[in-house]
Amino acid sequence: MAIGQVALINTFVNRVDALVFKHDWARSGTRVWGEHLRLGWEWDEDAFTTNMFAHPYHGSLYFNAARSNGVDFFQSVPYAIMGSWTWEYFGEKYRPSLNDWYMTSFGGITLGEVFHRISATIRDNRATGRGRTLREIAALPMDPIGSLNRLVRGEWRARGVNPPEHDPGSYVFRIGGGARFAKGLMADSGVGRMGAMLVDLLYGDPFATEYRSPFDVFGVRLMLSSNGGFSSLRASGRIYGTNLNNPARRARHVLAVNTRYDFFKNRAQSVGGQSVEIGINSRWPIGSRGYAFRTSIFGDGILLGAIDASGTGLGTRTYDFGPGVGARWEFGFDRHGARFLRVFGQLEYIHAVSGASADHIVDFSGIEANIPIGRGFGIAAHSTVFHRTSRYSTAPKDERNYPEARLLLTWTKSGFKP
Amino acid sequence: MLLTAPAWAQRAHRLHRPHRSGLWAELGAGPGRVRIACSGCTDVVVASAPSGYLRIGGTVSERVLIGVEVFSSLDRAFGFSRGDTTTRAETATATVVVLWFPSRRGFFFKGGVGLAAGQFTVPGTAGVDTSNGGGIGLTFGFGWDFAISRKVAITTNLAAHVTAVGDVVLPGKRIDDVIATMYQGSIGFTFR
Repeated sequence: MAIGQVALINTFVNRVDALVFKHDWARSGTRVWGEHLRLGWEWDEDAFTTNMFAHPYHGSLYFNAARSNGVDFFQSVPYAIMGSWTWEYFGEKYRPSLNDWYMTSFGGITLGEVFHRISATIRDNRATGRGRTLREIAALPMDPIGSLNRLVRGEWRARGVNPPEHDPGSYVFRIGGGARFAKGLMADSGVGRMGAMLVDLLYGDPFATEYRSPFDVFGVRLMLSSNGGFSSLRASGRIYGTNLNNPARRARHVLAVNTRYDFFKNRAQSVGGQSVEIGINSRWPIGSRGYAFRTSIFGDGILLGAIDASGTGLGTRTYDFGPGVGARWEFGFDRHGARFLRVFGQLEYIHAVSGASADHIVDFSGIEANIPIGRGFGIAAHSTVFHRTSRYSTAPKDERNYPEARLLLTWTKSGFKP
Repeated sequence: MLLTAPAWAQRAHRLHRPHRSGLWAELGAGPGRVRIACSGCTDVVVASAPSGYLRIGGTVSERVLIGVEVFSSLDRAFGFSRGDTTTRAETATATVVVLWFPSRRGFFFKGGVGLAAGQFTVPGTAGVDTSNGGGIGLTFGFGWDFAISRKVAITTNLAAHVTAVGDVVLPGKRIDDVIATMYQGSIGFTFR
């Protein structure tokens, strides 16, 4: 069933593009397929958002075609990989694009599982009436294939037990709206002001639940800006975890292997990619009311990263592709996972293999404070600095700094099950 | 006889069924076909080259093995245009690979991602010009494990190894965003 649905997704998208939107690139056939098999991979020139967000989202459809048919996480991985591969070779007239395959496959796996679990949390098989329907509709944009499968099976109305993913045990959901002040973001000089909306979700808690299955713990941050719409999306979920010390001890140390998806785009910078990271989360409780210090330190390998390199990209493309390595650290103060204070830093190196002949170093650091004012509401103040250095073999070194501040009114809902 | 026959059959079955547990290592070689594409190139260059690999790893389950694979291919008479054989092309990948056995038999699929390196050398009038590149490595394929004892198997592989190594700069030419794909048929020995 899942294989058929992956083939159906490709056929449907191709036919709609060819017949409804009259896109010439969708008029693929056996002659094109033969050419693609003969010529093989290349890098494409699509826009940053297309390559780094639209393709991973497309990949999540393949992945969730499998997940929504009862296939487990690891067994769903080949569906994303093969769905993307068949699309690249047979779904369009453009030559198969290696960057598309990477981001659709690996980005699709990370976003797919995040969407699958968030959708399972939104849906409630025990609910009835209009509330039930609204929940099903709310989950639709994140997991359209799962939603369609449920609709066909009559599961939009049928009552039953919820899947294990419905209840993450512990969670923190925080939404905030306010203003964002950025130097160099709106123009090369002066401070730009814009509206901002921030959504943070921590699904599961690495210290509250032992590792059971991939993405039983993950975190997502989404930021929207009034001047550029969708400005950042980061998702990181553990695919393996184990205790490094006795869980009965007060101070805890947990090893985690995560897959991470990054997308940052605004007028000043475009950075994104798909990474695998390994590191240690630690927690030091303070008193007995759930307060604690937390630290994280992770090293990562970037399977495929992308970074803007104006004027030095490929063709009409204005950014480079390449693998890389990096590290990130974080110190936080929280109660049951809901952060009051967060200090963090991240350093990434990307070696371009398509676009400019360049090496890029990106570092991103900041401090975020959230002060509760009652009934779940709070005031958040964030200060971050994004810094990059790009060394080109045929152009001068490029160094840029983007300091940014945010002031937000937040609302936090959390649950904690030790 | 009736009692011993099933035991004999079981022993024979155990011998020929690949034994997958613990650590393993595999070494193999075979002919390869290299296809090199680049940005802005209207065609691809294809050449033959010998290749070899080393794979080591552990067993996740009876059907899933995980390991690290190092693959290398060397063509001493390569060229970026038809008839040119002046370049020495060496390409290599180091990837984390997963081997999946869909059944208890020896057939398996392989997939992996990691890093790649490429070195292109041309002897020039003033010495040797070399262009090195590093980038993304990717491999996928399938094969069959033929157990010849409980600890040793002969393994056949058909695989593709993709190396995206960036720009190659050689005297008088610059080839942008090179992607070399090696197709390899190989025979190896697996030790468990």
